[in-house]
Amino acid sequence: MTKDDVILRADNLIAGYLPGVNILNGCSMEVKKGELIGIIGPNGAGKSTFLKSLFGLVNIREGEVTLNGANITNLRADELVRHGIGFVPQTDNVFPSLTIEENLEMGAYQAHASFKKRLAVIGDLFPVLIDRRHQRAGSLSGGERQMVAMARALMMDPQVLLLDEPSAGLSPDRQDETFVRTRTINRTGVTVIMVEQNARRCLQICDRGYVLDQGTTAYTATGKELLKDPKVIELYLGTLGA
Amino acid sequence: MTIERRTVVRAVLVFVVAALAVTLFSAMTAQGATVSDSAVSSDISMTTTTVDIDPPDDAASEPAPTSYSGSNRFLQSIVNGLVFGLLLALASVGLSLIYGTTGLSNFAHGEQVSFGAVLTYFFATQQPVSLPMIPVSFVIGMPLVPAALLAIAVAGALGWVQDRYLWSRLRKRRVGLVQQMIVSIGLSLAILNFIQWWVGGRRLRLTPDIDPRYQLGPVYLGEQTLISTGIAIACLLGVGFFLTQTRRGRATRAVSDNPSLAAASGIKVDSIVRLVWVMAASLAAVGGILLALYENGTAFDAGARLLLLMFAAVTLGGLGHPFGALVGSMVIGLVTEVSTVWLAPDLKYAVALGILILVLLVRPQGILGRAERVG
Repeated sequence: MTKDDVILRADNLIAGYLPGVNILNGCSMEVKKGELIGIIGPNGAGKSTFLKSLFGLVNIREGEVTLNGANITNLRADELVRHGIGFVPQTDNVFPSLTIEENLEMGAYQAHASFKKRLAVIGDLFPVLIDRRHQRAGSLSGGERQMVAMARALMMDPQVLLLDEPSAGLSPDRQDETFVRTRTINRTGVTVIMVEQNARRCLQICDRGYVLDQGTTAYTATGKELLKDPKVIELYLGTLGA
Repeated sequence: MTIERRTVVRAVLVFVVAALAVTLFSAMTAQGATVSDSAVSSDISMTTTTVDIDPPDDAASEPAPTSYSGSNRFLQSIVNGLVFGLLLALASVGLSLIYGTTGLSNFAHGEQVSFGAVLTYFFATQQPVSLPMIPVSFVIGMPLVPAALLAIAVAGALGWVQDRYLWSRLRKRRVGLVQQMIVSIGLSLAILNFIQWWVGGRRLRLTPDIDPRYQLGPVYLGEQTLISTGIAIACLLGVGFFLTQTRRGRATRAVSDNPSLAAASGIKVDSIVRLVWVMAASLAAVGGILLALYENGTAFDAGARLLLLMFAAVTLGGLGHPFGALVGSMVIGLVTEVSTVWLAPDLKYAVALGILILVLLVRPQGILGRAERVG
């Protein structure tokens, strides 16, 4: 991996919510342009905290995050959006009282001039959203909300998209749709970093995976390698459905 | 189901605290009035020359004649209720916006209402006025409209200052909402006492003119009431237009829905919240000024007396829903005024709060509040 290829780097992050209690104890990551990265690990390993720290939602106490070589550690969320990072939270990921179109407009809040152009692009990826653009987001199902949330995050044409457990709470067929959609988004050139509980499905579609354990990055390899790694199988994947 | 229960618990909590605060205010103001009586013995009688800005007679201080009977009285009370509801809505919308965007039940909002009215009096009266702690009297004597506009601007600036130097710092330090609410009660008492110390306990008239009354069919309306109603409708339409038709207004609704997601969408949440504070303080000042015109006078505790009704309107319409505050205010205004046709006027606020409890039992999320789909 040459230095020019790297779009996002996290170096030995130490972070946590409460004073004196660290959730991340030295997490590192290096992501190349256009990669689809999966982050897996047991409950409480710090996966979501790691993703949130990249997006400035958890205070980083030590370590550094760089985007295209520029230090973005602890920048505010709205500043990170301007730098080209999009974030889709696991829950509460739409504005319920706003319509679908208004949700997408909020996604393009910092680039209002290009709203219509981006709406057309998003319309190609999610045609159903354009058909139902005047429907209130609060009336949508979990899967539909997830779609709106992804579309909203893509409205600013981000370089890096962070997804926090996009398949959580969805039925198996909706989960499949979400993984396929994630891959489709990645193929348009967007670098995707995804935290997932469904580790097997996540590793099947991602280019590389990071396994987190007790707030540190325990292993990293390609998705296919991790799927076959006996240690990962024993600790995180289990044998069912292998 | 969980959401509905939470809404009811929150509404009841806000009401209990609001009721306690208003009781405290009432006790304090009663005490203040007694002290004021001894100091300025003729203030309350409103007949001597000591307080020349007071109304010349008691009848002029009433918003509408009270001696109507039968259907005229009923229609008159409906009209009075609608007018009062509109003016109450001006004050309540800001309270609702602040609650929606920050989660704060701001008990100092009533003082913003009083502050707007008192400041207008300060700029407009032909009598000598002075600034606190400065023993020099002077007359400003501006015409009413520029005085009101200046007062609204100063009130808006106070909203900005409050958020910049108090509320944003508390938010940044992650002070809990209950603690912030307690701070707002303290701030409310501080501003209330400050205004009382500044202008005293007497009643203040913004204009010495006698308000001419017009008969419109079976009802009577004062000129100032008509103008106040027109201004209130224009302001409320303006707020509605801002929230639904402008990008910043939609961002305000987005922040109201989910501040973290709004930030993750690239919205500068702090800027939106600051804008909301300025808007809320300005609208409260407009409400205070128009209520002072409608009631032919104001006092240092005019806003404190309205606080419980404002909370009632906001809760009844749907917590954090600005259009709900409008609907809630109209209901509260109508119920308080119409109930006086059959019941003693002393009971009118009790009837309004009774209606609030009934509505919440049937529709816990308030009139316009929407139960959200879960999952």
